[in-house]
Amino acid sequence: MSEPLLSLRDVVVEFPTRRGVLRALDGISLDVNAGEVLGLVGESGAGKSMIGSAIIGLIAPPGRIASGEIRLSGQRIDNLGPSQMRALRGKRIGMVFQDPLTSLNPLYTIADQLVETIRTHLPVTAAEARAQAIALLDRVGIPAAAQRIDDYPHHFSGGMRQRVVIALALCAQPDLVIADEPTTALDVSVQAQIIDLLKDICAERGAAVVLITHDMGVIAQTADRVAVVYAGRMAEIGPVSDVIHRPAHPYTRGLMGSIPSLREERARLVQIPGAMPRLDAISAGCAFHPRCDVATAACATTRPAMTHLVSAQKGEQSADRFAACLLLDHTAREGGEHGG
Amino acid sequence: MADEMILSLDRVTRRFDISKPLLNRMIEGVGKQYLTATADVSLSIARGETFALVGESGSGKSTIAKMIMGLMPPSVGEIRFDGDLIDPRHGIARATRRRFQMIFQDPFASLNPRWRVGDIIAEPIRTFALMPKTEVAGEVARLLEVVGLAPRDAEKYPHEFSGGQRQRIAIARALSSKPEFIVCDEPTSALDVSVQAQILNLMRDLQDAYGLTYLLISHDLSVVRHMADRIGVLYLGRLVEVAPSADLFAAPQHPYTRMLLDAVPDLTRVGARARAVVGEIPNPISPPSGCAFHPRCPLAQDICKTTAPEARSLGDRGRSVACHMVDGAA
Repeated sequence: MSEPLLSLRDVVVEFPTRRGVLRALDGISLDVNAGEVLGLVGESGAGKSMIGSAIIGLIAPPGRIASGEIRLSGQRIDNLGPSQMRALRGKRIGMVFQDPLTSLNPLYTIADQLVETIRTHLPVTAAEARAQAIALLDRVGIPAAAQRIDDYPHHFSGGMRQRVVIALALCAQPDLVIADEPTTALDVSVQAQIIDLLKDICAERGAAVVLITHDMGVIAQTADRVAVVYAGRMAEIGPVSDVIHRPAHPYTRGLMGSIPSLREERARLVQIPGAMPRLDAISAGCAFHPRCDVATAACATTRPAMTHLVSAQKGEQSADRFAACLLLDHTAREGGEHGG
Repeated sequence: MADEMILSLDRVTRRFDISKPLLNRMIEGVGKQYLTATADVSLSIARGETFALVGESGSGKSTIAKMIMGLMPPSVGEIRFDGDLIDPRHGIARATRRRFQMIFQDPFASLNPRWRVGDIIAEPIRTFALMPKTEVAGEVARLLEVVGLAPRDAEKYPHEFSGGQRQRIAIARALSSKPEFIVCDEPTSALDVSVQAQILNLMRDLQDAYGLTYLLISHDLSVVRHMADRIGVLYLGRLVEVAPSADLFAAPQHPYTRMLLDAVPDLTRVGARARAVVGEIPNPISPPSGCAFHPRCPLAQDICKTTAPEARSLGDRGRSVACHMVDGAA
């Protein structure tokens, strides 16, 4: 496989507090290939958004990346200074956040914000930047883009604002877009429009997407691969249909079972007892073992490593499927750890 | 339907006056403005069933819930609970008021942070004087166990609990006056899916144990599919379709319902793409003429632009659709 566009290796994010150091992320490793959509799922507080913040270097102090490394096209970006990082953000990594109203400045017109961003990153004149901005707004589906470009954010509806934010994220032609809950603030009917748009426009520009969401339905229809995060650790990563239909980790199994389906009648939802532990109360061994219905004594003491899975049917290694569980079926297991 | 109806809404309309102040109206020469949050909604809910209202933001779901709870009067039409008129302008008899309760969306906002959980749950019992004071503590302990918490939790404060546990406390409070009917306004939207499953399972168990009737308000169609016996679809304050849950998902009739079902991402459709709904919900202050959905509707004809469709019955399973273009024979 060629070099991944984005690669995280054993990333640890720590927040020192008066009561001790909290590990918000604990040994996250993952790769994103060019042009790919990687979904990040997990419950509130699992650390999904923290992964996004770590990649774009926006972890709020006193939080910091304590160890591990993050590479973009092979170049380390976790140790860049603030000004180098600023040059990277927007230019090579675009961002789409949950609430489109707070990610646009209410005091500037859409034109001001797009032209400013384009000219910050690309060597073009103001007139060229404006023409580019209009073309981009047109592409993201803003009707009458040439007139609407001079409107303020409050003139747009929630769905339209999110389109503007997507235009803003893509205007410097980044290699990677980080979309953190891009549709959570939107109604379902608009949500599908935005997801389609994000997927299409990134595909046509060859940009990879890290899609952070708690909505498995969105992941199922958008992502190529999905990573499941639990208590700051990776539980499982793999192609989206494998993870959804044949989850390997007990947490993923519980998560999938607990989601009511639109198309299948399910008498009773699978229920994972309890709730995700707080960061200062993560148990030794596997973080999930207190809630796990198949946990053994070893789970309470030994922390499982990410293990390469073997496809059950073909008996061969299925590409890119890893899970962190001591009790993975032995036939579905291969020796090597997820090293590099 | 032969079942006994516990709640009925008869042509209920609710308007909000959103006019500018009188002086501004005179200077700018504009008239009064009204926002119609609920327009001509008629529905009835049978004892023991779960009826769900779905719709996007601004479709009038919560306005209907507030009117049913007697928190605001309808502008036109009437709401009856087991025959008794629910209208705060006329007062609601305590004996009636005890019989319906509500669970709110945000369990962080719906519990008083300065009260102990035991007092929160006991408040309806005390308000309605349902039992001697000496028995209240025992009843609170029993309710806590019913919702899956421990009796000693009565001594704690809400901040000591997680979101899912708080929603259990809110459910215990709703149950404490021994109601027959509970309005659940987005009961799980603030919760994670694994916790959502716990709460939905609990709600079903309680329904089986106590014969409760639920009005479930949600924008999450998969939750609605899982919980509801019948579903009403709202669009811009108008009820466009009512159908048994299985029928609605198997064969949605109204063009808006079809669009909505196509748009929802679902686990069973990996890689398949949702067909996006065209356009956005219009401004409710100046809704489109005729059928409110016509500007977004793929089937719209001239009649849709001028005449608002009446709800018509379809088949014999209590289904009704408000659309000119849906064939009555379907």
